[in-house]
Amino acid sequence: MLTYALRRLLGILPTMLVISAVCFLVIQLQPGSFIDQYLEDPRMSRETVARITEQLGLNQPAWMQYLRWIEGIFLRGDFGFSFTNSRPVTSMIWDSLGWTVFLAVITMLVSWLVAIPLGVYTALNRYGWPATIMNFIGYFSLATPDYLVAMLLSALVLKLGWTNVNGLFSPQFIDAPWSGPKVLDLLNHLWIPVIVLGLEGVASIMRQMRASMLDVMNQDFVRTARSKGLASKVVLWRHTFRNAVNPLISIAGLSLPNLINASIIGSIVLNLPTIGPLLYSSLINKDQYLAMTLLMLSALLLLIGNLLADLALAWADPRVRFE
Amino acid sequence: MHKLTFLTLGLLLLGAPALAAKTVGANLKSVGIVPGKPGGTYTLPLGDNPSTFNYYGAIDNNTYTVLNNVLESLVEYNLATYKLEPGLAESWTTSKDGKVWTFKLRKDVKWHDGQPFNADDVVFTYNNIILNPGVRANQIPNLTFGGQPVKVEKVDNSTVRMTLNQAAGAFLQPLRTFIFPQHVFAKVDPLKNPENFMKMWSTDKASEVVGTGPFKFGGYVTGQKVTLVKNPLYYKVDSKGTKLPYLDRLEYLIVRDPQAQVSQFVAGNLDEVNINGAQFPDLKQKEVAGAPFKIQRSKALFGSPPHWSFNFDVKDPALAKVFRDLRFRQAMQSAVNRPRVINDIYNTIAMLPGHGVSPISEFYVNTTRALGKYDLKAAAAKLDAMGLKDTDKDGFRNLPGGKNLEFDVTYGTDSTIYPPLITILQNDLKSIGVKINPKGILVANLLSTGMSSSFESMILAFGDQPDPQLRREIWQPGQALHYWHLSTRDKDGKPVFSAMQPWEKRIYDIFDQGATVTDPIKRKALYGEWQALFSKNLPVIMIAKADNLAAVSNKVGNFVYNLGPIPTYNTHTFIYMK
Repeated sequence: MLTYALRRLLGILPTMLVISAVCFLVIQLQPGSFIDQYLEDPRMSRETVARITEQLGLNQPAWMQYLRWIEGIFLRGDFGFSFTNSRPVTSMIWDSLGWTVFLAVITMLVSWLVAIPLGVYTALNRYGWPATIMNFIGYFSLATPDYLVAMLLSALVLKLGWTNVNGLFSPQFIDAPWSGPKVLDLLNHLWIPVIVLGLEGVASIMRQMRASMLDVMNQDFVRTARSKGLASKVVLWRHTFRNAVNPLISIAGLSLPNLINASIIGSIVLNLPTIGPLLYSSLINKDQYLAMTLLMLSALLLLIGNLLADLALAWADPRVRFE
Repeated sequence: MHKLTFLTLGLLLLGAPALAAKTVGANLKSVGIVPGKPGGTYTLPLGDNPSTFNYYGAIDNNTYTVLNNVLESLVEYNLATYKLEPGLAESWTTSKDGKVWTFKLRKDVKWHDGQPFNADDVVFTYNNIILNPGVRANQIPNLTFGGQPVKVEKVDNSTVRMTLNQAAGAFLQPLRTFIFPQHVFAKVDPLKNPENFMKMWSTDKASEVVGTGPFKFGGYVTGQKVTLVKNPLYYKVDSKGTKLPYLDRLEYLIVRDPQAQVSQFVAGNLDEVNINGAQFPDLKQKEVAGAPFKIQRSKALFGSPPHWSFNFDVKDPALAKVFRDLRFRQAMQSAVNRPRVINDIYNTIAMLPGHGVSPISEFYVNTTRALGKYDLKAAAAKLDAMGLKDTDKDGFRNLPGGKNLEFDVTYGTDSTIYPPLITILQNDLKSIGVKINPKGILVANLLSTGMSSSFESMILAFGDQPDPQLRREIWQPGQALHYWHLSTRDKDGKPVFSAMQPWEKRIYDIFDQGATVTDPIKRKALYGEWQALFSKNLPVIMIAKADNLAAVSNKVGNFVYNLGPIPTYNTHTFIYMK
């Protein structure tokens, strides 16, 4: 088990290198460069543009820029400078990371806590009207884009005359020190993003859970357990549920990169201070090192999530371990 | 009440000898400025994170919007007339030949950190930052006259002399650019290390920003809020002697989505929001129903009126010949249904455009008659007269070579104006046998597409400015942004006179003269002639000019429409909370 984990961990490095090269290539293939906006500006002389190009190292061939960037990461832990912000890329990411992780974790927890019982319930009571309604809501929320939900909720809040319409705090609490009222204000704003960002997760996890439950419920070992006269609660939780939850562990691992990518548009509409909009604007502005670092972070999270999921699966399911 | 008056008087008497405060606002009654009361927080939206707090570190409107309250320049705008008034410079004199300008600086100005402001700050800012080609947002093109950048020297502690290679009529305009504190920036040598200069005052160093303006930095929370607080050392007072600014705090909430900005405003978290014609009906309805805000509409000096251009250098020679023919452009002008555009697309919040100059600018000449009437029959007749007839009876006119009269119109898809405008044009033109193929791209890519000449015709918008000289790059043939006729400029950036039609050559000469003539009457006459030539020869076809719209909370006093991040047009000095 330990050697397996080590082997996987070591495998991450070359994978990341390949991914970084591909990302860099894709960014280079994008038409235009960061400098273009300056070329268009009547306030900029050609000389200035040339000096800025040189300052940013954009006059070097692409492969050299790439190697320099990689070299900086390995030798100095330096992920480069943001062109637009004249700031180290890492410090910019750091600024938004806290809220991003907080929102992602809360949303994930809430959606799992809601979705798994619903999935189990709809699987056990397939034909009742409550299950039908829940399934309908599930389909519906899968089909509705999150920004639309965000706009609908904002409209509802406005209609009711409330002030917690978007963002995470009321204006006066944004830069206030932490206090009881500030926490209450946060909770008062938080439920909207949790619903918007969590809805899709709830729907898909609920449907996964339901399908997986239905699969396991008809398997031989469950029938055996039941025919041996075990209490139905024990059959349900110890045998059916434990086996049915396995596929969801892989889903959990795959949802780690969502920390960054999830709901860029939803974040913009809800005005959340997360990394999503940062990634969006860095790609639009061709701020290459910021975009690269964010894409790499996302890829790393995906690899780590995968690894954690595999380990958790091995821990949860003896069959995986022996293979 | 008595107590308060007494207290104010006492404070004034105490303060008066030490600070020869500058009284402002008495001449602003026409825009509704009245004496206000101190205190309160005013909350505004900001479209995104500022990319830096170093004014010369980036070209970024969010940066400019915030810093407009923090930094100041030698001259500033009068809020009512847009004329330039003394700012950090108390007065100035000009030599007879118009080449030497001497500025007397105010002696009572202090930086936010308490250091006195003096001539060293001005000389350092100009020579080491503004005129430094290594600095990203330098102003060299604006401050170059007769091929030489302006020479800036210190005469004494409160006098600065600027020498120009050639007289310049609009010289004061670029002096609206902001002055930086020498004592903060001298430690990096911007001439040698522009990179280090650019790292100063980045967004993680907001607390280090020091200006002379009415507000100073309070704090910055990434993605959420920029807080500015009152500068108690500010040198301006209102007509009653109350210290300016009135506000204790000026806060910018960072809200990216325009609809989310409106939501925040309606919820009462913002005191003001700029809106467009599309958002107008809904908010107006709320206002009429008794919501605690007013919609303010005002004529716009700045802003970008859309125009329709035809690429004179388009690859297809038959099409290029048609585009260069004035009769064709006149036909297209008659086919633009401006009343419908203003009614349906702008929700009536727009007016007929000027020709390169805003209708409320002091340089404006009324050319609305030259816009003509919407008349498809007249348009068809012009095309007939050019010999563009439907020879193959397929419903579309044919070019001399037999091809259909058909061309692309490149436009921005992510705009509320361009897509419906294209639909109207397409339908109208189809009825007179002209086929246009809409080609949608992102607004952000329009100008670069134009500059690469890879378009046939285009709908684009360029900003109006208070002085036509500031938009010379666009309207003067042979300049960098004269994108519909790029062959008037050679590879070295020199004008190609042989490529210009006679009226284009005349426009070229007008702008060259306008740059050096200093007599305001002569300048006005020159730019008047340019507008007449523009409206007759239609290098591009102007569409409409949108008005400015803002929704403002009833709690706010002295609201003057904010023109956007225009340096030294600072309305927040006068804003007060009722």
